[in-house]
Amino acid sequence: MAETIIETNGLTRSYGDICALKPLDLQVPEGEWLSVMGHSGSGKSTLMNLVGGLDRPSDGSLRVGGEDLLALSEDGLARFRREFVGIIFQQHHLIPYLTAVENVMMAQYFHSVPDEAEARTALERVGLGHRLKNRPGELSGGEQQRVCIARAIINSPKLLLGDEPTGNLDNKSTIMVMELLKELRAEERFTVIMVTHNQEVAAWGDRTIYLDDGVLVREERMNS
Amino acid sequence: MVALKLIPHLLSWAGILLVLLRGYSERRSVVMKTSITGFTGGVAGAIILFRTFPETIPFGSIKTALAVSFFLLWVFSVAAVYSSTARRVPISRRGRFVNTSLCAGAVAFLAGMVAGAICTCRFPATASNTLTFIVLVLAAGALAYALVFCVRIIERLLPPSFTVSPSGMLIAVVAFLLFSSSSILRLDLFSPLSMKVMKGIHDFVHQFMESILIPDHLFVRSVVWKYIGILFSKGVGFWGGMVIWFTPAFLIVLAVNFERLPSVAHIRQGAQRRKLLAAAIKARRHRLVIPLLSVVILAAAAYQSSFPSTEYWDPKPIPISANQSGEIIIPKKGEVNLEDGKLHKYLFKQGDREARFFIMVTPEGQLTVDLDACAICKPDGYGQAEGSVICYYCKTLIPLETVGKPGGCNPVPVVFSVKGDNVAINGMTLINTWGSTVQATTRVKEGGK
Amino acid sequence: MKRLFRALFTAGSSRAVPPLVIGFFFLFYIGVAFFTDETLITLMAFTRNSFVLALILALIPLNSVFRLVGETSRFMLMRSTMSGKNKEGLVDIFDEVVEIPVSATVPNLENRLAAVGYKTCRTGNVLAAWRGINSFPVRLFFLVGTFCIFTGILITTTSRSSLREMVVEGEPLPTPDGSGGIVERITLANSSGLILSRNLTMKVTPAVPGSKSREFGLYPPSRYGGAFVYPRYLGLALYLRFTAPDMPAGADTHCFLNVYPPGKEDNVVIPGSPYRVIFSIPEPETGSDRYISYMSDTITFGFKLLKGNDVLFSGSVPGGGEFVRDGFRLALPDVRRLVVTDLIYDNGVLFIWWSALLFCVAAALWLPIRVFSPRREMLFRFDHGVMTACSLAEGRSRKHAGVFHEMLDMIDAGKAGEE
Repeated sequence: MAETIIETNGLTRSYGDICALKPLDLQVPEGEWLSVMGHSGSGKSTLMNLVGGLDRPSDGSLRVGGEDLLALSEDGLARFRREFVGIIFQQHHLIPYLTAVENVMMAQYFHSVPDEAEARTALERVGLGHRLKNRPGELSGGEQQRVCIARAIINSPKLLLGDEPTGNLDNKSTIMVMELLKELRAEERFTVIMVTHNQEVAAWGDRTIYLDDGVLVREERMNS
Repeated sequence: MVALKLIPHLLSWAGILLVLLRGYSERRSVVMKTSITGFTGGVAGAIILFRTFPETIPFGSIKTALAVSFFLLWVFSVAAVYSSTARRVPISRRGRFVNTSLCAGAVAFLAGMVAGAICTCRFPATASNTLTFIVLVLAAGALAYALVFCVRIIERLLPPSFTVSPSGMLIAVVAFLLFSSSSILRLDLFSPLSMKVMKGIHDFVHQFMESILIPDHLFVRSVVWKYIGILFSKGVGFWGGMVIWFTPAFLIVLAVNFERLPSVAHIRQGAQRRKLLAAAIKARRHRLVIPLLSVVILAAAAYQSSFPSTEYWDPKPIPISANQSGEIIIPKKGEVNLEDGKLHKYLFKQGDREARFFIMVTPEGQLTVDLDACAICKPDGYGQAEGSVICYYCKTLIPLETVGKPGGCNPVPVVFSVKGDNVAINGMTLINTWGSTVQATTRVKEGGK
Repeated sequence: MKRLFRALFTAGSSRAVPPLVIGFFFLFYIGVAFFTDETLITLMAFTRNSFVLALILALIPLNSVFRLVGETSRFMLMRSTMSGKNKEGLVDIFDEVVEIPVSATVPNLENRLAAVGYKTCRTGNVLAAWRGINSFPVRLFFLVGTFCIFTGILITTTSRSSLREMVVEGEPLPTPDGSGGIVERITLANSSGLILSRNLTMKVTPAVPGSKSREFGLYPPSRYGGAFVYPRYLGLALYLRFTAPDMPAGADTHCFLNVYPPGKEDNVVIPGSPYRVIFSIPEPETGSDRYISYMSDTITFGFKLLKGNDVLFSGSVPGGGEFVRDGFRLALPDVRRLVVTDLIYDNGVLFIWWSALLFCVAAALWLPIRVFSPRREMLFRFDHGVMTACSLAEGRSRKHAGVFHEMLDMIDAGKAGEE
């Protein structure tokens, strides 16, 4: 039985009168790939931001990797994000004037210290060994997203968060990225929380939860 | 006002305490107690010395303590560079000793003692009455207590990752002590150091050229001589002094910078390796803070020394002439009172030759007539301040007690006699003395300074 | 005995020796400075006369030799380790040594290492990789330079002797054994050199027939009979004939005049008389070279004739000519150029010169090597299921460590063979 890596009790996030996430109880075992589905404004990104330490809940409890995120100071939260979480967004957010390897090294820099050899290896693992010195503008969408994956995994996070990572990709690239993520998860054994509105992408996970208007309405376990 | 003058000295001691408390974070109580004890002991000891011996002895003792601490700093800084660049650095017995309570206590006590003694030098010790003195000591004590309280609070506010290496502690302690002492003319080390360095370099360059047979005659191009001449200039003392003054701090910075990062090759996860390295680098950077701050403190000390706030007594030389028999007669209590403890300058001219001299009464009550120049430096003349006269050229302080005695940078004594209420000096002797001992060093004849 | 020798070698080759010795002499210098203003000269005199001080100073060149031996043997050991012959004392040679249990033989890391610029060599179960230039030769230059400079200082301090002599045109070179040839001509000429504005040449005919004639210049001073011929001042040698009304027989005398640069005075006492002549060379006309009189063959002296302390008269007299007035006659039938020269017996100077050269070479080599191509080495040795990996970097160590760690990760993951 895997240990629980994420545990929420009555997790709530309100923005003024608007309640983006209504009290949510959720448990995610370590190593699980959890897909989060829902319409726009259903609270999926809010949940991901809270779990990733990018935002603070309004109420409830939230423990990730044994840390009580509510109890953490801003510095503590920054350390948590730095050392525990890797995030892939729909937009690649790569620095346009840095090469692929430099972009990955930038993530190392913010985590600890850059190590070119390691960054190069990470890019090779995502199949970009031949594109190390190319800038983001010289890469295809799929390649850019693979650089993002390399950047997200370079600091060996325990938790990988994806916010519509394939939203801008064509079908072929989507499959390629998902296969890569699956492969890396098998090697690195990190937990994945993937926010998506694409049923096919969600199907790559072990379990899918459905949010609607900030409420968990349904949960579905996938066959491997 | 005197109590206000103590503030920089007390702040220096507070700085020392702060650094030691952080450096010996596990021995705060020992450091605190021994430092306060040392400070009190230093104040008491200095008071006793000042009241028992002539001023030269307590000033000399404290200055020697400062010089020894500076020398020790040099030794430690060189040792720090050597040990941080060594291939293998085993935890030495010395390293373990540094972390003991005994060492922490000893360092805090000694630093506190010297700091206390320096503070005492601010008091007009021998001149004031006992009551004033006790009031001043109590005021200083109250300030010290308040400072200790502040230091404890500040120290607790510092982030735990901010650590101080042993060499960092030493440089900070010495820098604060030197800063504290640099505002007291008779304790200042930088100016005498510059002067010694100037003489040392002149000596060394000459011997060096002799040793390797570099021709020093006039056939060397004037452009080249201009550069060689830099080594014989007055500025070389200042810059040489600066090098010696700051080198220990830079050596310690280098030593911290050269410290090897921990071996992480046995760890198989890159992020974990990098995290360890980053932590080591961060700790190393933190250890750089104190040595770099010490550079600033040392710079402030050098600045205080080079541009002292002290006003020198520097009267304009009074032109004077000899009588028919060639004697210069100056009444002891004429327009100028020669016995008021201040130096009084005169300018004597005979044909195209001239000599500048001064007359004063030393603290022992001895009347003395001296050239306004020494036999070593350019005759820039002397000023008077705080129980000493200062050679304007090399900034050497000559205690008033030794004015009238020949040698070194002392003003060159002139033979004179007291005839009734007058001081009589032979004009020819004066001119000849100037000519024989000073002319060789003269480049600027007029006016001094 | 062997242990004792090893302990002595360890102590003698310690990096702490030079700073300790220099620190000791510095303290001594400070101590001496309390008593005299001639500090350095006094310190040198002490060292010259004290066997113990000389011995302490000698510790530095001795240390350089020991370190030279130590570093050479370390270099040889490194070479033999890299070639797989040695597997002892790795911790002393490398910066980092790590052991990883593995199940395979040395995996194929060569391609990967080559891709990042390392050269590799596999010998049996050992893979060595390196890039950059080894700084060992530079260390050799530096250590030999250190040896030379301190040996030079030691020799100079303890054994220098000098002899001040007058080198006069037409006279034998005044060597102690009298073997010097005749000084044929002394020439002073303007020079366009970088350092010197004038050239001084003393041409000496050979003492032994058949050998070559020699020329001695200003710098670097040449050697003659084991001594450096080191010109110090210019002067003139006179043959002077003087008659006065009260000494009609007159007097002849040879004398050396130290009258350069022009304006400087030197006096000659007429033997057996109360007369004294003060000579000087007048400053030449504006625009002329100050030393024109020495360069040309026409020298005119300014002079003052004194009887006791009274100046009788003054005037000028050309070299080879005479001055006559009121029954006084001053003739200078022979004037020759001379150079006040030190004959310096000191072999230490050569060591010091050499050290300067060696230090320059060491610095000129070290800087580009350290900046552009520092030596980085790795060694992977597989023995009985354990991979011993070693790493060393003389520069760019972080980047090198990254590659080293990558190799270790590859070995650990067993990926290397897949490439």
